[in-house]
Amino acid sequence: MADPIGAEQVDHALVARVLLTDDRRAFEQLMRRHQGMVRAQLRRLLHGDEARADDLAQETFLLAWRKLDQFRGEARFATWLYRIAYSCFLQARRKGSSAAEDMADDAPDQRTSPRDAVELRLDVERAMRRLSATEQIVLLHVVQLGLSHDEAAYVLEMPLGTVKSHTNRGKTKLRALLADWQVTFRKEHGL
Amino acid sequence: MNDEMEDVLDVLLRQQFEGPVADEGFCASVIDRLPARRLRNKWPMVAGIIAGVATCWFSLWSAPVAHAGWQDWLSGEPSASAVALFIAMTSMAILALAWAIAEADDRYDPKRMIR
Repeated sequence: MADPIGAEQVDHALVARVLLTDDRRAFEQLMRRHQGMVRAQLRRLLHGDEARADDLAQETFLLAWRKLDQFRGEARFATWLYRIAYSCFLQARRKGSSAAEDMADDAPDQRTSPRDAVELRLDVERAMRRLSATEQIVLLHVVQLGLSHDEAAYVLEMPLGTVKSHTNRGKTKLRALLADWQVTFRKEHGL
Repeated sequence: MNDEMEDVLDVLLRQQFEGPVADEGFCASVIDRLPARRLRNKWPMVAGIIAGVATCWFSLWSAPVAHAGWQDWLSGEPSASAVALFIAMTSMAILALAWAIAEADDRYDPKRMIR
């Protein structure tokens, strides 16, 4: 979103409309503004399992609807949603069988060819998979979803220091794994 | 140099992220499943306050100090028991005020967001 402060004000106004007048249309607008990123977050967490990600996204928004009066406006609305989505993911993972996890681990390999044809993309994907699960999750939130370290700590319910150390460790590993690509990429993009 | 490498890594990671997912009927399906919102009941809090005040009143009613203090207070006599009663009531009122202010600060008021 181009103007984060303006976007945040719009979110707050919509939340207020839902709470004061029980306006479902306002909630629908909130959902339209955020569903894309919440679903993208869950797809990444579930290694591309779109159906399961959408089920959890649905659960996330139903929970957000029920617990909207608990939103205190301290965090951005998007960050609050990411937190609910992440706790839904954790709950599902705890409940889910090991078969479901195995399926999630296999998922990236099954959907490589058409979309991820570019070699670089595949290498980044492979390198990401060589990180620990926590490092992957932290980098997803900090780099790919663009959250600050504080926001990521709030979403993942981790101490700030842990988020920072996982970010640094993950990046150091990726830097080593993608060293060749970084030289090529810098030359191509004049960085 | 290190910052530069970090920039490249960030760009690579962001490029690898697919970005927001298209709606494709997702919102409509969730909206259909939204349950009716339950309004928060206020009666438990009111009942709690009434029960607390009544219990306090009954327990103090049998205490001779409170009784004497109340009588002295009504007759305008500043006896030790009247002063003790006054201090106790003032302290409780201050505590209640502090609690109410802390709660009000902590609470998200949607009306503040509407301009």
